[in-house]
Amino acid sequence: MMSSNFKLSAHQVCKSFGELEALKDIDIHVKAGEFISIVGPSGCGKTTFLRIVGGLESSSSGSITLNGHLVTQPGLDRGFVFQQDNLLPWRTILSNTEIGLEIAGKITPEQREKTLSLLELVGLKGFENYYPRQLSGGMRQRVNLARALAINPDLLLMDEPFSALDAQTREIMQTELLRIWNEGKKTVLFVTHQIDEAVLLSDKVLVFARRPGRLQEIVEINLPRPRTLSMKRQPEFMKIVDHIWSLIEFDVRASVLEEAA
Amino acid sequence: MSLTTTPPANSFWDKHGWASVSTLVGFLLWEITARFFVTSKLFLAAPSQIIAAFIPLWASGELPKHLSTSAMEFVLGYFFAALLGVVIGFFMASFKASKQILQPWVSGLYATPTVALAPLFILWFGVGIFSKVVVIILLVVFPVIINTETGLRQTPHSLIETVKSFGANRRQIFFKVELPSALPFIFAGLRLGIGRGLIGVVVAELFGARSGLGLFIQQSAETFNMPALFAGVLILAFTGIGLTTCFIWIEKNVTPWGQE
Repeated sequence: MMSSNFKLSAHQVCKSFGELEALKDIDIHVKAGEFISIVGPSGCGKTTFLRIVGGLESSSSGSITLNGHLVTQPGLDRGFVFQQDNLLPWRTILSNTEIGLEIAGKITPEQREKTLSLLELVGLKGFENYYPRQLSGGMRQRVNLARALAINPDLLLMDEPFSALDAQTREIMQTELLRIWNEGKKTVLFVTHQIDEAVLLSDKVLVFARRPGRLQEIVEINLPRPRTLSMKRQPEFMKIVDHIWSLIEFDVRASVLEEAA
Repeated sequence: MSLTTTPPANSFWDKHGWASVSTLVGFLLWEITARFFVTSKLFLAAPSQIIAAFIPLWASGELPKHLSTSAMEFVLGYFFAALLGVVIGFFMASFKASKQILQPWVSGLYATPTVALAPLFILWFGVGIFSKVVVIILLVVFPVIINTETGLRQTPHSLIETVKSFGANRRQIFFKVELPSALPFIFAGLRLGIGRGLIGVVVAELFGARSGLGLFIQQSAETFNMPALFAGVLILAFTGIGLTTCFIWIEKNVTPWGQE
């Protein structure tokens, strides 16, 4: 096998919930430092796939390897950024950010320094001792991201992290994520509904289809970096977005009709 | 926007103004009623008469003796009920079998007015403080069990999953997520327990005791000593208010994330 060249590999991953085939034969290979997005209509299994990679769910068959090791349960080599911020309301921002290190029993003065500079990196300097309820949705998502980065994972898993934010905050967070990613060049697997978000952020966009959930096409995004929000209005950008939309449009219409019925 | 006209926020009047007025007026009406309308000392004592009766009772050491007995009973009963309640609540929330085994007893005994069993406990455990401690435990433990269980069960699954994603084990999930998440519920149960515990003290003592506020109130009633009776009742009332206030203060400081 040539999986040793890859940071993350999925081999023939399948997942069914009873009769429903949520994922069928997913094969994915991700190189170190790549930013990969997964888009697709509701019910295409993109979040389920991310949760399997995160070890929060098990696959029905197939395997996932990270750095050559089989993934079976959650671990500190992966940082999960949840759709809802899931901050612990009784912990301060600093203490929330440190929870992964605390669970691993790795809180040291040097680590504390790193966590503090991480909070500065995500733009939360001065908010270390605030409680989550005192922060806006966008700021809470920054903590969510910092919490995942604090354990210095090999792979960052992001499950529609900006979907609960308003449109403007969302765009700001996209550029912020690019800036933060540029600092560490982590390998990222990013699930989203929003095609332009996927195109702006990623090196590759994996387009999923539904019934059964499967990988339909891998779209390489060759736009130059660093990327800016204004690129969203450039013709090449819109061409890629149109192409991806054309791939999933039929499925999206079907899922919308189903939900209405 | 002008800041000069803003009244000082959180002044004593804003917080406690009408409550103070209402309390003062209430006591004043009571005084007037006792002095001019229900003048028989066998039926009602005026606040001034209660204070006049209270001072010698306190100075002679009689009231302090009763108060310390009741306080001891309350503290012991309440402490064990709190401990037992949290532990039992934890087991009911965590293990299906213990939930099924304990549920009928918890629901049944919570709904039963267990003070009715007080005479039985006096018979079984004697007129000393032990029988009272048992009655208090029985009254206080159920709201604590029920609230602990509910609180632990209502821990948002998403928060548990978050710490799981960092590899948390069962013990870490309990101490880092479930317990802090349940704390406001547990505190509410403990707060309910204060009033129930005080009822337990008095009722248990009514059925047979060597000393205690319940006994003191009963003896005062038998001798138609209304000022002394009211003095006993007022001590209980102020104890209840004082304990609850302390409790709210502790709650605020232990769970500071919930307040505005």
